[in-house]
Amino acid sequence: MATDTESGYAEGFGQVSRTVGTVFRYLLLAATMFGIVTLAVLLVYVANDAIQPLTADAGWHLTFFLTLVVPTTLVGGYLYRRNTDALKLGSTVVGMLAVAVLFSGGVAIVFVDIIPPLTGFSYAVGLVIPAALTVILTKYERQISFTPRVAATGAAFFLSLFGVPGYLHSIPELVQKAPVVPSDWVILALVLGGVAALVVGQYIARIREDATAGLIAGVAALVVTGLAALLGPLLGYDSNSFVVVTAVAVVPTATYAGGAALTRKRERIGLLLAGTVIVGSLVGAAAVDLLGFAGPQSWVNWQFLTNPHSSSAERAGLYPAIGGSILLMVTVAALSFPTGVGAAVYLEEYAPDNRFTRFIDVNISNLAGVPSVVYGLLGLGVFVTYLGQATGTVIIGGATLALLILPIVIISSREAIRAVPQDMRQASYGMGATRWQTVKNVVLPEAFPGILTGTILALGRAIGETAPLIMIGAPNVLFSLPTELTSKVSAMPLQVYAWSTLFASEDFYTKAVPAGVVVLLVVLLAMNSIAIVLRNKFESES
Amino acid sequence: MTGTEDPTNDEMLVQTDVSEGLSASESSPKRDAGTVISSNDINVWYGDDHALTDISMEIPENSVTAMIGPSGCGKSTFLRCINRMNDLIDVARVEGDLTLRGKNVYDNDVDPVALRRRVGMVFQKPNPFPKSIYENVIYGLKIQGIEGDYDEIVEKSLKRAALWDEVKDRLHESGLDLSGGQQQRLCIARAIAPDPEVLLMDEPASALDPVATSQIEDLVEELAEDYTVVIVTHNMQQAARISDKTAVFLTGGELVEFDDTQKIFENPESQRVEDYITGKFG
Amino acid sequence: MSTDDLETDLTRNTENTPRELLTRSFFFLCAALSVVTTISIVGLLVVEASKFFTITAPLMDVKGETASLVDFLTGTTWQINNQEFGVLALVSSTLMVTIGSAVIALPLGVATAIYLSEYASAQARSVLKPALEILAGVPTVVYGFFALIYITPALGVVFPGIGTFNMLSASIVVGIMIIPMVASISEDAMSAVPDELRQAGYGMGATKFDVSTGIVVPAALSGIFSSFILALSRAIGETMAVTVAAGAQAKFLNPINPASYLEGALPMTAAMVQLLNSDITGGGLAYRSLFAIGLVLFVITLIMNVISDYVARRYREVY
Repeated sequence: MATDTESGYAEGFGQVSRTVGTVFRYLLLAATMFGIVTLAVLLVYVANDAIQPLTADAGWHLTFFLTLVVPTTLVGGYLYRRNTDALKLGSTVVGMLAVAVLFSGGVAIVFVDIIPPLTGFSYAVGLVIPAALTVILTKYERQISFTPRVAATGAAFFLSLFGVPGYLHSIPELVQKAPVVPSDWVILALVLGGVAALVVGQYIARIREDATAGLIAGVAALVVTGLAALLGPLLGYDSNSFVVVTAVAVVPTATYAGGAALTRKRERIGLLLAGTVIVGSLVGAAAVDLLGFAGPQSWVNWQFLTNPHSSSAERAGLYPAIGGSILLMVTVAALSFPTGVGAAVYLEEYAPDNRFTRFIDVNISNLAGVPSVVYGLLGLGVFVTYLGQATGTVIIGGATLALLILPIVIISSREAIRAVPQDMRQASYGMGATRWQTVKNVVLPEAFPGILTGTILALGRAIGETAPLIMIGAPNVLFSLPTELTSKVSAMPLQVYAWSTLFASEDFYTKAVPAGVVVLLVVLLAMNSIAIVLRNKFESES
Repeated sequence: MTGTEDPTNDEMLVQTDVSEGLSASESSPKRDAGTVISSNDINVWYGDDHALTDISMEIPENSVTAMIGPSGCGKSTFLRCINRMNDLIDVARVEGDLTLRGKNVYDNDVDPVALRRRVGMVFQKPNPFPKSIYENVIYGLKIQGIEGDYDEIVEKSLKRAALWDEVKDRLHESGLDLSGGQQQRLCIARAIAPDPEVLLMDEPASALDPVATSQIEDLVEELAEDYTVVIVTHNMQQAARISDKTAVFLTGGELVEFDDTQKIFENPESQRVEDYITGKFG
Repeated sequence: MSTDDLETDLTRNTENTPRELLTRSFFFLCAALSVVTTISIVGLLVVEASKFFTITAPLMDVKGETASLVDFLTGTTWQINNQEFGVLALVSSTLMVTIGSAVIALPLGVATAIYLSEYASAQARSVLKPALEILAGVPTVVYGFFALIYITPALGVVFPGIGTFNMLSASIVVGIMIIPMVASISEDAMSAVPDELRQAGYGMGATKFDVSTGIVVPAALSGIFSSFILALSRAIGETMAVTVAAGAQAKFLNPINPASYLEGALPMTAAMVQLLNSDITGGGLAYRSLFAIGLVLFVITLIMNVISDYVARRYREVY
């Protein structure tokens, strides 16, 4: 390149090699883009089939173009040229709101439809009481030795949750049998609003370094949630869903945005973008309603999201499958996160360098390569045939998928743990810390963001899996939500599979399946983006 | 635990270079105090690599003992023998006796964790935890289950480490927000908060600028009033300035000479030490 | 402090306090779970598969119908209703998917890796790498649907004789799906090539093209090779895409005849799903055949993983 001048001969040669280099470079770029572009085209096709944007009135498109696209582009363009950090903040808030609304939908399914609010409330009380006891016990850490403390904690949880059959009622039982029980929305507002208030209060207290501010913010969050419950019926919506969306999506996003406005003076102009998007959407929606423009005849609509399967593609819905996927995800997370992180901690922090450790090591990397269908066989053979469990239940599906992603969780957690600087461990051991103290105080807190990222990505893999669920006999068609760990379970990818093979018809191919694919991909995309945002934040900090 | 070795076969090991130089028992400490740490024929291997050969020396109480030598000579390895940090390295193997006030720390029944609670350590690179300054200082107290008025201990330790005035208004900010020299003083405060008997320092100033270095040096001299300080340094002037006794390690992991600092720098017994001190070698 | 105090203090054995024991045992059990999983997989597959074969069934004390091991391994017809269990019919179509996806994924994956490791700017990498991760993150059943609904009709324009279910579209989507795997492992191998080697090349007046193809790729060859094997093992085990897009009738096809890619057939994994969806009774011959296929699949992928691991380990020794 720079070396090939000197003589005419060399220049001619340099010309040739430069051409070859340029061609090669573009060939490589084309190869890199091939998969991405192919997938993008396929996604456009499926989104078009599912949402059918061209069926909307021209006026509908024009209205939203004027109220949403134009202002957002202008504000975004301005921020991009002036202050990219502010742009980043603005897009984060918008993304956070979108993901949080999605998440609140999941929470609503779990805490309204799967677990009746009263049952959920009774268990929440049953958990809070022993948890409070544990916190109090921890304060006396130095007076009471470890073994009685653990025993007391265990006993408190057990008594609270299960009672003594025949003698002592458990706390959930007592609550459920109480003569006066609050109505559903009050319970939801108290429980979800309470959790939101706790998180908001802590966050504000931390960034303002002022406990009073935190307390005020927490109370405000609780009040806003309660107001939402009262506001819902006035606007013609259900109180319960209003409470959930407010507590899970609106309050946290507003708190984050408010916190950023208070602490990040240089970037807070970016919130303008978030405001533009939100106001633009609302104004657009009101305008098309007022002017009577019809929107697209999307197959991804409220009915699709809330109906069960039907043999007619127009009426078929994904609801039981969505609920099943959520329950499976919770089960898989509960099973694979502690065991995966535990195994990673053992291998990185405890294991002596001997044959057994090396064997576990090789074993885990081989398990990561075992096809998912074989894990399905494992679930079928061990859980169903040998342990005699019913086929296709939430717990069997969850356990099988947990085993499937366990190697991935272990491998990514090990990477995160290995990334903790050796200096930190040395400092801790040098102070006379034991292994567990070092793990608890130094290694796990430092590695946590990395572990979380890896686990979210692995969970994304789990909820996209179909083959193991088929193997353990999950039903292809399910008409109701699973409500217990021993209920039969369906899942979004399984429903997509059933529609595209067992109900194969032009109707399903062009309506229900694309809609199902879009919902599944949106959920996965949300999870992956959370993981990527976490990772970027983590990487830029360290 | 790996790394602990049978201490009974030390009769089989023959003393070599140490007897040629000044063995520790022959020299007299500058201050009138007993011996805190005494090593007898310590050998360390990393896998097949023989990192330390037959190290014997006695470290007196409430004094600064410096270890100097070219890089890779094993001085840090020896320091890590004292609080058994070498146990954390799988391939490390230690043979020989090393006693702390008469108790051999390589006895099979000795718990390295308990040992490290009596022997504090400050590392080459400042390594505060990503927690607040306050949390950093009380870390040792919390893990060792020491009770007391933490606020008072934090203030005392930070004052002792000459850091109090700079951080007293921001005790709850992250320790990582401090400058390098402040971070190292925070690490010293952290190490002395649980009140150890011995303080090991592994080139504590090598990552710092000259001003911070001289602050650390002043601090080390003061700390020697209360603690037995063992400091590794590759900076000979530093050793000469702050230490009472000096051990010179040379390539191959042998202790060539151990004596009063003044004697080492003015009139060393060994020609190799003289060459090293005068810069002809190393 | 008296010596006695020192003695008791130093020998207090914090290693075995209840808290340490409890946590250490928990972590150990978590790690041991992976061994239990492996043993369960191997044990289950071996036990159930041996109930399937005439030659091993007596050992398992199984009476009733069994199948011949020789017929299983050499037969080319898979028809459960006729009790014909020739696994080669399934293996041949798995092989076709593997070859087909390799043709797409191996060159594209390596090219991607070279681009990312040698050419792309940091900004381009920060966009391209997450995009590639999405390729691997799309559920396989979605890929199967794409192949069936969008790719097959598009291919029909070029190849009018193509079947609704065909190996070509299945191979294409499996290929796209495993590109990120080839790319990321190969890129790791290329990034591990020391910069001195590159600079030596540039110092001799080599162009970027020369350095990439003449120095980096050969130096990273074992890593690239290892990524190939891993990706192909993934293609062999891939289930849903082939079930939806290729899975029809079991058929013995010639994998090296390009025309046979226009037909549909039944890879091993798709056959397992199909068996589950047909009515099979627990303990019957069809049920056991599931585990026999599973064992073949497991052994093939295990061997490939071990080879890949071995190759990768050897290359790590070089640097």
